[in-house]
Amino acid sequence: MRADVVVVGAGPAGLATAVALAEAGREVRVIARGNGFTHWAPGAVDVLARAGGRPVDHPSDGLPLLPARHPYRLVGEPLLRRALDRFQLLTAAAGLTYEGSLDANRRQVTALGTLRPTCLLPAPAARPLDGRVAVVGLDGFRDFAPELCARGLRAAGHDASARSVAPPPWGHARHFHAVDVARAVDDPGWRARLADRLGPATRGAGVAVVPAVLGLAGGHQAWADLERRVGVPLVEAALAPPSVPGMRLYQVWLARLRQLGGRLQLGFPVTGVEVADGRVTTVVSEGASRPVATRCAEVVLATGGVAGRGIRAGRDGTLVEEVAGLHVEGFGDRMGFFAEGFLDDHPLGAAGVAVDDQLRPLDAGGAPAPGGLRAVGGLLAAHDPTAEGSREGVALATAARVAELLAPDPSPTKG
Amino acid sequence: MADLETQVVVVGGGATGTAVLRDLALRGIDAVLVERADLGTGTSGRWHGLLHSGGRYVVKDPVSATECIEENRVLRRIAPHCVEDTGGLFVLLPDNDQAFGDAFVEACARTGVPCEELRPAQARRREPLLTPRLTRAFAVPDGTMDGWKLIGGFVADARARGARVLVRHPVVGMERDGDRILAVRARDAATGEDRLIGCQWVLNAAGAWAGRVAALAGGELRMAPGKGAMVVMVGRWVRGVVNDCRMPGDGDIIVPVHQVAILGTTDKETDDPDDNSVDPAEVDFMLDSAAELVPAIAGGRVLRAFSGSRPLYKAGDDDAGSRDLTRAFFVLDHGGRGGPGNLLSIVGGKLTTCRQMAERTVDALVARMGLTAPCTTATTPLPGADQGVHRLAEPLATVERQAGYGELVCECELVSRRRIEAAVDQGATDLDDLRRQLRLGFGPCQAAFCGWRAAAIVDERRPGATEPLANLERFLAERWRGQRATTWGDGAVQALLNQAIYRGTFDLAPAGGGRGTA
Repeated sequence: MRADVVVVGAGPAGLATAVALAEAGREVRVIARGNGFTHWAPGAVDVLARAGGRPVDHPSDGLPLLPARHPYRLVGEPLLRRALDRFQLLTAAAGLTYEGSLDANRRQVTALGTLRPTCLLPAPAARPLDGRVAVVGLDGFRDFAPELCARGLRAAGHDASARSVAPPPWGHARHFHAVDVARAVDDPGWRARLADRLGPATRGAGVAVVPAVLGLAGGHQAWADLERRVGVPLVEAALAPPSVPGMRLYQVWLARLRQLGGRLQLGFPVTGVEVADGRVTTVVSEGASRPVATRCAEVVLATGGVAGRGIRAGRDGTLVEEVAGLHVEGFGDRMGFFAEGFLDDHPLGAAGVAVDDQLRPLDAGGAPAPGGLRAVGGLLAAHDPTAEGSREGVALATAARVAELLAPDPSPTKG
Repeated sequence: MADLETQVVVVGGGATGTAVLRDLALRGIDAVLVERADLGTGTSGRWHGLLHSGGRYVVKDPVSATECIEENRVLRRIAPHCVEDTGGLFVLLPDNDQAFGDAFVEACARTGVPCEELRPAQARRREPLLTPRLTRAFAVPDGTMDGWKLIGGFVADARARGARVLVRHPVVGMERDGDRILAVRARDAATGEDRLIGCQWVLNAAGAWAGRVAALAGGELRMAPGKGAMVVMVGRWVRGVVNDCRMPGDGDIIVPVHQVAILGTTDKETDDPDDNSVDPAEVDFMLDSAAELVPAIAGGRVLRAFSGSRPLYKAGDDDAGSRDLTRAFFVLDHGGRGGPGNLLSIVGGKLTTCRQMAERTVDALVARMGLTAPCTTATTPLPGADQGVHRLAEPLATVERQAGYGELVCECELVSRRRIEAAVDQGATDLDDLRRQLRLGFGPCQAAFCGWRAAAIVDERRPGATEPLANLERFLAERWRGQRATTWGDGAVQALLNQAIYRGTFDLAPAGGGRGTA
C-alpha cells in the first residue's frame, strides 16, 4: 500500500494531526491499534490544569512555569491559541460546540460531584450551575449515582438534590451501558418519552445535572432538543469510560478526515518502520493474515505514552518505544516508575520521546533521527497528560505544529 | 465494674482465634472475641490460599504432614464451600536432587499423604503449561481455601451459638489481681472508648502479634515472625496447585485461587509483624522461580504483591514442659512461666490446621477449667456447607441464573449490587472490608470501575456512615500499596489508565493536594 503521510494512532493527537494534514492538502492514512483517549477521557479539552505542583486557573499564565522541553514550550503559545481556535471552528461546523478559551479554565461536573478543571467545555457540560440543582439519574444505570453526585455538589456550595427516573420502555431491561442510553436518546421518540420523565423530576430547578449520555450520532443536537423539551438547562456530568462526549468528538474528526479523502485503519497495530538512507520509507503493520507494508513520504507517531501503549515499560526499568525503537530515557529500576501514592504524579506518566522544536525525535546524543519521522501528543517527553491536565491541548498544539511543518505554504483549506 | 462479662476472652480474629471461638461455642462455653482491626486482616488474610495435602512437609516435618492431611479431610467435610478441589502436583525439575523423588514417595506413604506418580506426559496433559523439562510428577490432594470465607463461617456459627465478636477493638490492657487476669480492656476504635470485659480465662490467639498481647498481661512470649511475600498473577495459569518437588524453600509453589494465581513464598525474619512491604527483588525471584515450573508465566502480568507474617515461635529449653502438642504449634500456659495463671497463648501453626489448633487449645483450657466437654468441631458442618465444594464457574453461573449482568458492580469478580447491599446491611461500610468479604476490586482492573460504584452504594444504603470519597481514596491507596513493586508492562498501562479515571476524569486529588471548587 502507499500513502503520502501515515499517522500512527487514532487518539486525539493522531486524529487532530490527520485532519490538520488533510486540510493542508496532504493525503493521509491513519493506522491504529484501536481507539485512544477520545473514548477514555471525558470529552473536554484539557490544556493546563496544574503546573509547578499547583492548580492553574488561567492556562496561558501557567505556560511559562513549564519546563523548557515541554511540548507547549516547543510549539509556543500563539500556535496553541490558533490550534484551539481551529478546533472550535471545526467542531462547531460539525454540530459540536466547545465553549471557553485559553485565558481561563472552566469546571466540568463529574459523576462524583467533583468539578474538574478544563479549558474548553462541550456545550452540554457548560451550563452554569445556577439556582437549585436537580441531579437526575436513570434507574438501573450503574455508572451514575445521583446522590453521590449531589453530595459532591453540595460540598462545593451548590443547592443540589438527587432523584432518579426510570428509563422509558426499551429493549435493555436492567443491563445497559452509557453508549446504549446515548443511542436510545438519538431516537426522537424515545427522547420525547425521556423528556416527559425528566420534566417532573426537574420542576422548579434552575439547572439539571444528568449523566453524559444525551445522544451520540448527531453531535449536540439531541442534548439541545431534550433541553428544549424539558425546559431546564441540562448539564452532562463526566462519567468513567467509555466516554460518550469523547466518542462524539471522535466521530466528528473521523467524518472530517473521510470528507477530505483521508483513510483510517483501526485494529491493526503498527509493528515497525523501514528506513533507507536515513529516512523512513515504509510503515509495517499487522494485517489480517500477514504484515502489511505501507510506503509513505512522512510518518507521524501519535501512539501515546505508556498509557496509550506507545511505550512499553520493562521489568528492569527500561522503556521501549514500540514502533520505531526511538530513544526513551528509562529508569535505573522499576521502582522509579511510580510514586508512593496512587494519585500522586507518577514519573512514568511523563515518560516519552524527546523531540526538537520541529517535533523530530532525538536520539540519545540529542541528534534528530531518522528523517521523515515526527512525534505528537502523549508520546512526547517532558509532560504528564493526567497530572498536568494537558492531554487534548498538547494533542491539538502538536498536531497544528506538524501540519504547519509538513505544509509550510499555507494554502486555502479544502472542503 | 466490667462492661461485659464472659467466661473466656479470645484475642485475635484470624483463623485460629475464630476457630477457637467456634470451638468454645460448640462446647457451651461463653466467649467474647476481640480483634484490633477486621476479621482476617492479619496473617490469615495474607497467605497464598493453599489447603495443604501435607505433601510439602512429608520429608522435612512428618508430624505436620500428617496433621495437614487429617485437617485437609476435615475441612473438606465441614467447610466444603470454602474449598476448591483443585488437586496438586509435586514436580521434580532436572536441577533438583533426583533422589528427592523417591524420598518424597516413601515419606508420603509413611505420613499417610495420598500420592500417585504420573508419567511426565500425563502430568502435562493435566497441566498443559508445565515445563517439558520435568523428570517426575506426583499428584496429591492439595486444594485451595478461601480463608475469609472460612473465618466468616466460624464466626457466623459461633455467633449463632451465643458467642460475641468485637472487631476494631484493640486490646490496650489487662486488669490483674495478683496472678489472675480479671478483665481485658479493649478500645473501640470508632469512639475511642474503652470496654472492660470481665473473664475467667484469656486465650491469646494474636498470631504474630501474640508477644505484644502477652506483654499487656505481664506474660512473656518471644515471637520470631517470618515475613513471607507472595506475588499475584492475572489469570490462574494452572489448573491445580503446582509445587516444586524439593525441600521446602523460597519460591516453590503456584496456587490457583479464584481468578488469579498466587506465587509463593519467601521467608525473612522481621521484628515488626506489621511490616507488609515487599522488596522488588523478592518479586523477581518468585516470578523467575515460578517460571521454572511454568515457563509461560514469565511473560504474564503481575497484579500485585503482598506479604504476611508467619506466627513463628522458637521454643526455648524452658518450654519443654509446656510443649503440649506437636512441633507445628504450641499452647503455652503462662501460669508456669511467671505470667498470669489464666492466660494461654497459642502460637505457630498454619491455616490448614487452624481447627485442630483450636481443638487442642480448648482441650487444654477445658482441662484447666475442670470441665468435661468434648470437641465436636471436626464433625459439625459450618453454615453453608450444604453448598458443596466451591467451583470456579459458580459465581458466573449464579449471575447467569439470575440474569444479573446489569447488577454487577465489580465485573472482574462478579460482585453484584445486592451482595454489596447485604454486606452493608450487616455492618460493612469500609470498601476494604467489602473487598475481603466479596472480593470486590480483586481483579485485573484493581477497582478502576467498581471502586466508586461501591462507595456510592455504601453511601446510599447507610447515609452518613462514611464520607464516600474518603472511603474511595482509602481503598485506592490500599490497592496501590501492593502494586508499586510489581507494575511494569501491561500492569503499568492499567495503572496509568486508572489514574486517568480517578485523577483525570474524577479529579480526586493526591493526598495533601486541594480539590478544586467552582
